[in-house]
Amino acid sequence: MTRRGRRFFVALVVAGSIAMVLLSLLTGAEPLSVARAWREWRSGIPMTEAPTLSILVQQRMPRTLAALLVGSGLALVGCAFQAMLRNPLATPYTLGVASAGAFGAWTATVLMAGYGLTRSILGVSSVQVFAFVFAEADVLIVYFLAARKGKVSPTVLLLGGVTMGMLSNSGILLMRYLSDPERLKMMDHWLMGGVDVLGYGPVLTLLIGVAPCMAILLAQMAKFDQLGFGVEIAAGRGINVRLLQTSTFFVGSLMTAVIVSVAGPIGFVGLIVPHAVRSVTGSRHRILMPVSVIAGGGFLCFCDIVARKLLPGETPIGIVTTLLGGPFFLYLLLRRRFTDWGA
Amino acid sequence: MTHTLTAESVAYAYESASPVFSQVDAAVRAGEILGIVGPNGSGKSTLLRVMSGLLRPGSGRVTLDGRPLSAFSNVDRARTLAFLPQAVNPAFALSVFEVVCLGRYPHMGAFGALSAHDREVAERCMRHTEIEALETRDFLTLSGGERQRVLLASILAQEPDILLLDEPTAALDIHHQIELFALLARLAEDGYGFAVVTHDLNLAARFCDRLLLLTNWRETPISGTPAEVLTGPRLSEAYAAAIRVDRHPVTDAPLIWAETPAGNGPSAGGDGPPLEGGRS
Repeated sequence: MTRRGRRFFVALVVAGSIAMVLLSLLTGAEPLSVARAWREWRSGIPMTEAPTLSILVQQRMPRTLAALLVGSGLALVGCAFQAMLRNPLATPYTLGVASAGAFGAWTATVLMAGYGLTRSILGVSSVQVFAFVFAEADVLIVYFLAARKGKVSPTVLLLGGVTMGMLSNSGILLMRYLSDPERLKMMDHWLMGGVDVLGYGPVLTLLIGVAPCMAILLAQMAKFDQLGFGVEIAAGRGINVRLLQTSTFFVGSLMTAVIVSVAGPIGFVGLIVPHAVRSVTGSRHRILMPVSVIAGGGFLCFCDIVARKLLPGETPIGIVTTLLGGPFFLYLLLRRRFTDWGA
Repeated sequence: MTHTLTAESVAYAYESASPVFSQVDAAVRAGEILGIVGPNGSGKSTLLRVMSGLLRPGSGRVTLDGRPLSAFSNVDRARTLAFLPQAVNPAFALSVFEVVCLGRYPHMGAFGALSAHDREVAERCMRHTEIEALETRDFLTLSGGERQRVLLASILAQEPDILLLDEPTAALDIHHQIELFALLARLAEDGYGFAVVTHDLNLAARFCDRLLLLTNWRETPISGTPAEVLTGPRLSEAYAAAIRVDRHPVTDAPLIWAETPAGNGPSAGGDGPPLEGGRS
């Protein structure tokens, strides 16, 4: 792809994502009049007496911000994990983080129902806390399985992660078996993910958990190129491969755990966005990663709009991302030559 | 400034009970090609990794211009010393030009932006290795010989003074083998220093200035000029095979060939015609 073509694509992604953000602010159960919100803002009346402005500020903005942070975070971790594991199939959930988080969420629900667990711990919902703690426990177990004698084995990371994911899934089945039907429906909804957050608390959690991790991963862009090309050649060029692998693993997993604990395990974004972008920009992470961040945020805003409009009421966003992303991904597979992914 | 990479009585062991080697001295000097030869498992690749700073020696030390390699930062080391491993398996597709530009890493800023100077260096290295025509090709679609030249251009783009190459001709046909070694010889004349691990003793005899012969049972390797190292008795002992050394009729370099093991073939079994010049 020529430089000009690449610039055009980047401009398209940026413009598309901005459009999705604006559309997301305007979409919902009630149509929203920008003019009325602007008049309410100009008049200076308190938020409680400004219905349109308060919908925009209290509901639409946090939801859109959450979709942006979740989408861009998952897309970036997808890029980083594909480079770290040197495997184009890697996703943020490959190492079992999402399943472990879901298992934690179920455990919290069952404990709240029958064993006196409080609804919130230190101001954060117990479901979120349990999801996060279980996800981090998964991360530590997988790491200690894979780290030996000063080396981290990507193969063991993958095998350990997949196994931990399966264990978590059987844990989820057990919790489902122990739950009453009313809770099943609620938890199934959680398992499909959603960015229908209330207020700015979850947005703040996301911002604190995601933004610094994104900065750390983006600072490694040049190193991911080297690692993707070859481990030993990267080491010969002065990269501390083990430090890069370990920091990517922990930073990426931490970020994923925060995202899953707030928004549930939203599928497919972390696989499809990096691949779709890669198919146009190529595999240089200096371009791939920032563009994936923007595209990921825009894509999830788009999916959230569809989720609000597809069916009466709300469709869980995880269904939308997969329904939209799956066929597109199959199309990419059909169109691409296999060498594009190094195999 | 001319650089020298020196290994002083280095030892290395993956498992402490069985050291790969325990007393190796070696020097790579600007303008020279040092060939590292020896049977499988004698530690050639391990020695190259120790000398490149990727593995720390168990004892002894590796110095670059008199300063211990461990005292250099990773990036400073990579600006003087380049290492090309035996196998490179890219996980993602890159064009030839992008692969060559990867070599600029030790000179890049934090975010990996390529300057005009970086591009110039990459283009010069592509001319050196005669791969300009491949510039936009996908690295993964190249033939073995083309890949090896692209990889060489990519580590030349590091602008190192000393290059350590692990079996650069292993996958190449006879034509590309000789081309690659001739290219290394030209680069050595320009002032680069090379250490090359190779299984091809005849190429080593012809192109290397000095050789290091590692064996599986001697603590210290044999080192010297090709004529000193490549003798029938020494090679026979090192490879545990009947190896003969003649003179190349044209280049006068040592010409090495192995006799067929007893009981395995026509020349030893006696039921075929004896090979010309062979012992019967």
